[in-house]
Amino acid sequence: MNLAGLTDSLAAWRSDAAACPECGANVEVGHGLCLGCLLGIGDGDDQLTGEEFRAALSAVAVADTHWRLGNYEVLEEIGRGGMGVIYRARQRHSRRIVALKRILSYHSDSRETLARFRRETEAAASLDHPHILPIYEVGESDDGVPYFSMKYASGGNLQEVSPALRADPREIVRLIAKVTRAVQEAHRQGILHRDLKPGNILLDGNGEPLVTDFGLAKWLDASSDLTRSLTIFGTPGYIAPEQAEGPSAEVTASADIYSIGAILFDLLAGRPPFLGEHALAVIRQASTNSAPKLRSLVRHADRDLETVCARCLEREPQARYASAADLAEDLERWLEGRSIVARPLAFPTRLSRWSRRKPALAASLAGLFLLGGVILVRQLESRRLAATVLANQEATFSIAALPLLDLDQGTPDPVLAEAITIALREDLRQLGPARVTLLGETSPFWADTANVDDLREANRSSHSRTILTGSKRVVGDKLRISLRLLSAGTGEPLFARSVETSPDPAAIRGALQGLARPLHDILNAKDWSALSIRGRDPGWRDERAREFIVAGRQLMFRDGTANLDRSIRCLEEAIKLQPKSASAHAYLAATCGGRMHLQWDSQLLARAEHEARLALALEPELPDAHRSLAGVLGQKEEFAAAVQEQLRAIETGGAEEFVCSLLGQTYISLGQPARALQWLGLARHWASRPGDYDALIGNCWVQLGDDARAEKAFRRAAELQPQASDGWIGLSFLRLLQGQFAAARAIVAANQSEEKGSDTHPAEIAAQIAFFERRVEEAERLYRALAERDPHNGIGCWAEVSYDSALGRLEQMANREAAGLTTLREARAKELHSPSGVHSGADFYRLAALSASLGEKSVALDYLNNAVEAGWSDARSPRLDPRFDSLRDDDRFREFLVKLSARIDFMRKAALEQSAVFAAHRAAGAVKP
Amino acid sequence: MASDEAKDVESSSRFHTTRWSVILSSLEQGEDKTRARVALSHLCRTYWRPVFAFLCRLGYSIPDAQDLTQDFFVMILNGNFLERANPERGRFRSLLLTSLQHFLKDAHAKRTARKRGGEVELISWDEWMAEAPSRLTVPAQALESWSPERIFDVRWAATVAERSLRSLQEECASLGRQRVFDALQGALIASREEVSYEALSRELGVGVPELRNALHRLRQRYRQLLRSEVAATMENPDKVDTELRYLVAALAAGGH
Repeated sequence: MNLAGLTDSLAAWRSDAAACPECGANVEVGHGLCLGCLLGIGDGDDQLTGEEFRAALSAVAVADTHWRLGNYEVLEEIGRGGMGVIYRARQRHSRRIVALKRILSYHSDSRETLARFRRETEAAASLDHPHILPIYEVGESDDGVPYFSMKYASGGNLQEVSPALRADPREIVRLIAKVTRAVQEAHRQGILHRDLKPGNILLDGNGEPLVTDFGLAKWLDASSDLTRSLTIFGTPGYIAPEQAEGPSAEVTASADIYSIGAILFDLLAGRPPFLGEHALAVIRQASTNSAPKLRSLVRHADRDLETVCARCLEREPQARYASAADLAEDLERWLEGRSIVARPLAFPTRLSRWSRRKPALAASLAGLFLLGGVILVRQLESRRLAATVLANQEATFSIAALPLLDLDQGTPDPVLAEAITIALREDLRQLGPARVTLLGETSPFWADTANVDDLREANRSSHSRTILTGSKRVVGDKLRISLRLLSAGTGEPLFARSVETSPDPAAIRGALQGLARPLHDILNAKDWSALSIRGRDPGWRDERAREFIVAGRQLMFRDGTANLDRSIRCLEEAIKLQPKSASAHAYLAATCGGRMHLQWDSQLLARAEHEARLALALEPELPDAHRSLAGVLGQKEEFAAAVQEQLRAIETGGAEEFVCSLLGQTYISLGQPARALQWLGLARHWASRPGDYDALIGNCWVQLGDDARAEKAFRRAAELQPQASDGWIGLSFLRLLQGQFAAARAIVAANQSEEKGSDTHPAEIAAQIAFFERRVEEAERLYRALAERDPHNGIGCWAEVSYDSALGRLEQMANREAAGLTTLREARAKELHSPSGVHSGADFYRLAALSASLGEKSVALDYLNNAVEAGWSDARSPRLDPRFDSLRDDDRFREFLVKLSARIDFMRKAALEQSAVFAAHRAAGAVKP
Repeated sequence: MASDEAKDVESSSRFHTTRWSVILSSLEQGEDKTRARVALSHLCRTYWRPVFAFLCRLGYSIPDAQDLTQDFFVMILNGNFLERANPERGRFRSLLLTSLQHFLKDAHAKRTARKRGGEVELISWDEWMAEAPSRLTVPAQALESWSPERIFDVRWAATVAERSLRSLQEECASLGRQRVFDALQGALIASREEVSYEALSRELGVGVPELRNALHRLRQRYRQLLRSEVAATMENPDKVDTELRYLVAALAAGGH
């Protein structure tokens, strides 16, 4: 029987089959409406005009008031609990259907309550796992009541399908294993669920489970008065006994493991482990009695599954599985037909339990029993081990290798990956049975990917326990190969190492020889949780410090100085508690850097750098620390050094959207648009919001002089993100460079009305068109308005026309030469004493433009050469820019422009070759078997 | 927006283009076939659940049933489904089921369906289900005893009823009366004496006579929408009552 399909094909199957008293049918649609009656309503009574209908409804004077919540249109109520209500809703712009939860308004009187709801919701929203129902947005309605939107799970929940599932234990275990992995991820982030039950496990359209309401149970569940008076939250039948007994502070991850066991038990047996007449009775039973054996209820149930349930349902938290990872592992072993790790409770454990009840007697017997007990257990274990070890070993020692990412080219390298595969296979087999396979025919985007979806997909096609991937690049005359071993199930990094070697095959082979032993040890290890960098970090291990780190990291991603200041304080607290937490230092560096971004502060910048270097001293392989340092270096305009740190971030943590986009942007600043394109292409592939990188890609093609590709990218940006201005501004600038002033103006005219408050770019491009077109009066008016509104002085805009330089030049053009010279001199002095220094191509280019306007031709030319050396690569703007008018007839200027154009042509050809290489990889990867 | 619509709902423009009768006649008159295809694809999107449920009941795995459903519709939209002379073509429902059975008998179709692995997607399943969620519940014992054909019919009936309810809800919402709909929808099928107008009146804070009248009108409007929905699947709209009786019979206990 096919189960998941029922969730929508036939929806839920009721076990009771009461026929409708009216029509005798026994099928219902929503709200308990009998389908038979719905088909027979008002037979023969069809006379109704639209007018009558509207009048009748208008007469019921109950207007809808709250059918808009923030950005959402509420479609219908789909559930209601003690404190909250759930709607099906539609997001206005994307038209996406979501589920929306909010607190009922009469619970929203306390500010503290609201703040706590918001805090905990935001924590839950930070969870990212394929089997955790994603929370899209946490918002606040007009009346100040917080709500959150999440994925609408169209397949119902486990409770609804449980009767149909019962016949299929494999399907049950498959679902619960995934649920357990999701819970493991939440635990890793320091979030407990506290109310796992079948109703909280939703199913998507494909019948895949999605765990919902992490840590939010108390907000959303209809707890009875009884349970609330006990100040416990959770559902009798599924909550751990200690959860019912003690204050919630003492509840640990093992309470969630108990609940998973209870759900598994329920699905297999058709009822939860404990039943009672009322909630209190159930809770009392759970805390005084042992759970019944699964096979006492279902005689043919699998013996191993009985053991798994029993291990989860132990009353003592310490006697349960040590972690969700262990439980998931056992469930997956069962699915793969391997023997599970959990044993029926061993004799020593029983003894200790008994001894707790009868301490005096036990003490005297302990010496006698101990020896015998240990021997007995050893014998049992070894016999069992011998029987299964051969069958399991190859699967245990399995590695699937993905292509390496060539960091110099931004393209995948399957050849080196194959060489590594062969070498590792040889070396590992020296140590025992092992399976090392190459996933050669893969997407080019899989090379060194840190993207969970990619890894999941790779895992699906490899059936290996681990995935090996990494990168290579040339450092001096050496080849640096960085490898990462990841858990195929979770994508968690287990091992990372870089080796440097001569680039010849024999040397590479030699360099790889030391890898087999550590990889073998990792594959052999029972518990991977201590292997990750996070597992080593004292900040993540200390519960209080971890809370500060998690809070600090969340605040870091929010807008506004207040949030960043709060983030800094949280991370400082974490460091006070655990001074050696590399993560805390790395995040503090990132936050200081982010704060700096809003307001220049050289002390803060120095602090950010100090923290980042501290983090790296503590943990040289921490990707976040490399990212933070890269950010600091970028702000100091030390772009080449920033690139090195970004590459280190990839070498230690793999490639993903964020780091690839930063690399792309850094390469733009370095005047290497061809390189930038490779990385932006990868970022675009993983973009969480489509259209995020297309305008940047367009900029690169503009710089490279490929207008057709630039136009395509800008159009895509404008289409995918119509609310943003980057796309159409890029198009307008392109027209400007092409000398098509009217077309450039038309684009601005068509779009400028959508200008947003703080976004000055639309006004900048309008001013720039007027300036280049030499409409002096209008340009001056526009630049004056901009200078008043925007303290950034237009730095970083297209063609680097700073407001004061334009105004100075415009004054000259309006025959106010003296005023113009003063403005220009002041502007140049400001540039030269800029707090961030003069480093970049853009910095030199602005100085060149000012000097040219001031009539200092030789100085201007020197600056132009400096600019090109530092990466300036726009040969078209200077031809149009009035600030370079004084050089117009100078042969040296002409020569300069010719040389720059030739250089750009060369870069363009390189970029096109690169993109052809990548396209070839993509074509090869697309032909998957 | 809907000003002229309700005068005679059965001829309202909203359903006009996607009507089965219109599709058939436009073909006979040799009109533009692309329009007929677009209209047909609308009908297919509406009635995918019965097809999917039928396949699930036959024992196909979920991914296979999904692929087969997609492939079946692709076959219908690209193939000669419309041209096929068939005494059953008077009802879209019958023709769809017969075609589905033919499709499954065609071993070749099954093979290619597997191979293609669902790369041709009319629309993603998740979106499909989220746009028009279904809340059908069926007694457990029916799981084993009902034939795939009966499940197809029951699913069909549920689709018709749920779509009509949803249209009614949307009309209420557009008049700013979503809450009224939510409060009254449970009473749509209740017999007159069962409805507690007093309780509803207290809940909504409006008078009983207005509520009574509104419920009466909601029922009438629902009936119009339901007949429209059914008529859209018939070649001869006069036979709407026959079709409704058929669907009711499919639900009744002891059938098939």
